Amino acid sequence: MTEPTVAVRGLAKTFYDEARGEVRAVDGIDFDCRPGEIFGLLGANGAGKTTTLRMLATILRPTAGVARLMGRDVVEEPVAARRTLGFYSATTALYPRLTARETLEFFARVNLYPEEKVDARVDYLVGRFGIAEYVGARVEKLSTGMKQKVSIARTVAHDPPILIFDEPTVGLDVINALEMARVIRELRDEGKTIIFSTHIMSEAEKLCDRIAIIHNGKILASDTLDALRVATGRHYLEDIFVDYVGGVEEMPGFIRESGSAAE
Amino acid sequence: MREASSSNGARRRRVLATLLGLELRLLLRDKRTIIIAVLLPLLIYPAFILAMRAVSRAGQERLEAATYEYAITGSEAELARSLVQEALALSAAEDDSAEVPTNFVERVADAPDSLLRAGELQLVVEWMSHEEYRAEREAEAEGDTAALRRLDELAAVPAVRLSFRSNSELSSTAASRMGARLRRLRVERRDRLLRERGLPLDPGELAKLELNNVAPAEKEAGAVLGMILTPLLVLLMLSGGSVVAADAISGEKERGTIETLLTTAARRGEIVAAKQLAIIGVGIAIAVINVANLLVYVVLGVFELPERFAVSVEPVALIVLLLLFLPLTGVISATLLALSGYSKTYREYQIYFFPVLLLFLFPSAAAVLPGIELRSAIVLVPVANISVAVREVLVGTYDWLFLGLTFAVTMAAALYTSRLTSLALSTERLITAAELDRAELIGGPALFPKRVLRWFGIMWVTLFITSLWLGATLGIRLQVVVNILGIFFGGSLLIIWRYRLQPREVLALRPVRLPVWIAVLIGAPSAYLVGVGLARLADLILPVPERMLESFGEYLIAPELALWQVILFLAVIPGIFEEIAFRGVLLSGLRKRLRPVALCLVTGAIFGLFHIDLFRIVPTAFLGAILAAVVLISGSIFPAMLWHALNNAVALVPAYLELRIAEPPLWSFGLGVLGLALAFWILWRYRSRAALAGGDGGG
Repeated sequence: MTEPTVAVRGLAKTFYDEARGEVRAVDGIDFDCRPGEIFGLLGANGAGKTTTLRMLATILRPTAGVARLMGRDVVEEPVAARRTLGFYSATTALYPRLTARETLEFFARVNLYPEEKVDARVDYLVGRFGIAEYVGARVEKLSTGMKQKVSIARTVAHDPPILIFDEPTVGLDVINALEMARVIRELRDEGKTIIFSTHIMSEAEKLCDRIAIIHNGKILASDTLDALRVATGRHYLEDIFVDYVGGVEEMPGFIRESGSAAE
Repeated sequence: MREASSSNGARRRRVLATLLGLELRLLLRDKRTIIIAVLLPLLIYPAFILAMRAVSRAGQERLEAATYEYAITGSEAELARSLVQEALALSAAEDDSAEVPTNFVERVADAPDSLLRAGELQLVVEWMSHEEYRAEREAEAEGDTAALRRLDELAAVPAVRLSFRSNSELSSTAASRMGARLRRLRVERRDRLLRERGLPLDPGELAKLELNNVAPAEKEAGAVLGMILTPLLVLLMLSGGSVVAADAISGEKERGTIETLLTTAARRGEIVAAKQLAIIGVGIAIAVINVANLLVYVVLGVFELPERFAVSVEPVALIVLLLLFLPLTGVISATLLALSGYSKTYREYQIYFFPVLLLFLFPSAAAVLPGIELRSAIVLVPVANISVAVREVLVGTYDWLFLGLTFAVTMAAALYTSRLTSLALSTERLITAAELDRAELIGGPALFPKRVLRWFGIMWVTLFITSLWLGATLGIRLQVVVNILGIFFGGSLLIIWRYRLQPREVLALRPVRLPVWIAVLIGAPSAYLVGVGLARLADLILPVPERMLESFGEYLIAPELALWQVILFLAVIPGIFEEIAFRGVLLSGLRKRLRPVALCLVTGAIFGLFHIDLFRIVPTAFLGAILAAVVLISGSIFPAMLWHALNNAVALVPAYLELRIAEPPLWSFGLGVLGLALAFWILWRYRSRAALAGGDGGG
């Protein structure tokens, strides 16, 4: 068994909202991720997926709990932690006035990729993600699909061991969404640790090696799809999800813990 | 270890350089930035100045070319007419602009006054006999005996009255030119008369008057330049830097790039620093371009500089000016960036920009204030102090202590604002990123200790502005009402309400035992004596100008105040309400952050700063620190209120009664120290354990 590259224990985030008072967006969650696996966070909008991932990316500061990326604590060593991480979300946009090549160079450098290897790295990324044709064009001139490719290349510019994809397929058409899934699988096969969040059941079903069902800031179950099927006696992820989430709704205050059989 | 840390430093420099490269590249590729920040000012300023000059020249020409119509009226119109014609026939004197040749044409009219009102005439010349003139004046005097007596002294000669409309430029020009000629005619006639009566010399030689301007041309120009240089620079920096700043964070937020940037290995501080450097760079570049632009136009002769306009800046002055402008550019760029950080979109940024522009332009024009000197409380106002310092340097005055203070104050403001920007990059409300601690999460009372200094900063600025604008016009009573009841008490209530504080806790409204009151009766006069001694010591370091002392004494003890008013307005009200603000709200706000000794000193120092007058800071800071200690030890604010009121009464009442107390002899200061020690011994014996423990344990 390999060591976990992402370790999360008791992570919590409380917001203070003028209208609602204290809001527990994330309420004490635990999980581990390992190289070569896609770990899925599945939950409805507002369940706490993005808040969790933003805490891992050190954009948000946890109210309680610990999170480590490659052994680096996100609160104690935020810069070192971020260096091990590529973060992609629907809201991580690119600078419109940079060219694709300049974008990749900038993100490699700012993430401290060794200076002498930057050029070779950018060339590799350009070849790998098929962006050679428009590498000299400004990002603002590119189509959505082209931007998506540059954006993924940007995420892995500094060759980080951990990649976070926060609802990466939001707003993409079918072709681009499939392309995204293909790239994520490829990266997994190269040995990256991948955390993938979505609210789309079929996506999680097809892509994720393990799935955590998150609801109201809590992880209700976390396992491989097969183990979740066994635990609930249902086949489709949709039914499994409703089973867990609905169960909570019927019996307030009761949280079902799932066994971690796969570990 | 050493190697590791130096390579870490190199890494950080690499990150910063990469970020700065990004900022500059983005900037130069934005056509709007170049057009708005560089090209427009290049064209607009000269165009504006040329247009202004063209307008004023056209106006001048119009006035010269115009024909001025006047009517003559009054009991002896013929006399008046000959007088006017003689006056108009005088050759124009060259040195008087009011006497330039002018076309005057008489128009005969029945009702000239109504024509004048209707705008058909520019001027009415009225001849009045002495009796008519006197009758009119008497009616105006309305029984004012002094005015009537003055009328008796008038010689019995006729009067000429020029009627005009001041809202018409033509009409007022007609009046001033006709008036100037009539006055010269009068002088020439008098001189002729004197010569005819045998005055042995030219009457013009009788009393020579010559104006002699001894200021070197450079200093004169320096004084003018000193007034406009800072506001000009601020305006250029703001207009140029703003375009960059808007894009810097709110633009990134709007496009969604900020989140990408925040997940890289760059530190927040580095992101802010790179952006700030870019803004400063652009601001300076724009300032330089514009000044160079202006110089080019001067050399090309598009504008002429005023006569005697020679600026010679010594090397020392140049270095000092650069050093003064450094924190100024810092504070401007940091403010713009903070503004950008706190706005979610361009639109929001634009809404905030205008008030910020005013916020900077007003203090940057402080050098224009009449009689302002750097050696005053203005030194504590960022930006305004730079403005005044720049003017003093340009006229060759170097007050090194206060120049240093100016630099430090504005630099501190710049650093503080930069920090705010770093925080803006992590404020959850705005950017879903946070470095908030529990206090900010919970809000309410827990937030109060973190914000109390900010509130007192706002109160200080309010006080300073009111004293600058209204100080001279308000009487002492109104001033007490505005400052103490309005700002101090009002501010305190606002803070208590905002953070939902318990008044009894915050203000330490607790009863005390009898011995405490006795300690106050002994302590207040003793502390006053010690304070006087301290003020004298301070005087050795920072001498108080004599005139300032005098005017201050006269000012406080205005003769129209009755004794009870002196006591009420200058002792009782300050005693109660200043204590509520400083030893109540401020003290309890700082209590959780400072140990008791530091707490007293800081409370005292802030109290001292609030006595705007720089020379009162030392004694009032001393009093403030003592009062803070009284509250901490006794656990109640009431003894401090009495102490404060007694202190003010001891200071003012003898002076009011004009009891000339000789300078206190040296031994009296010793007595003061002993009395103070006794008072504190009593206070300590009857100290409130609960209050002291509450202060330390509560943190």
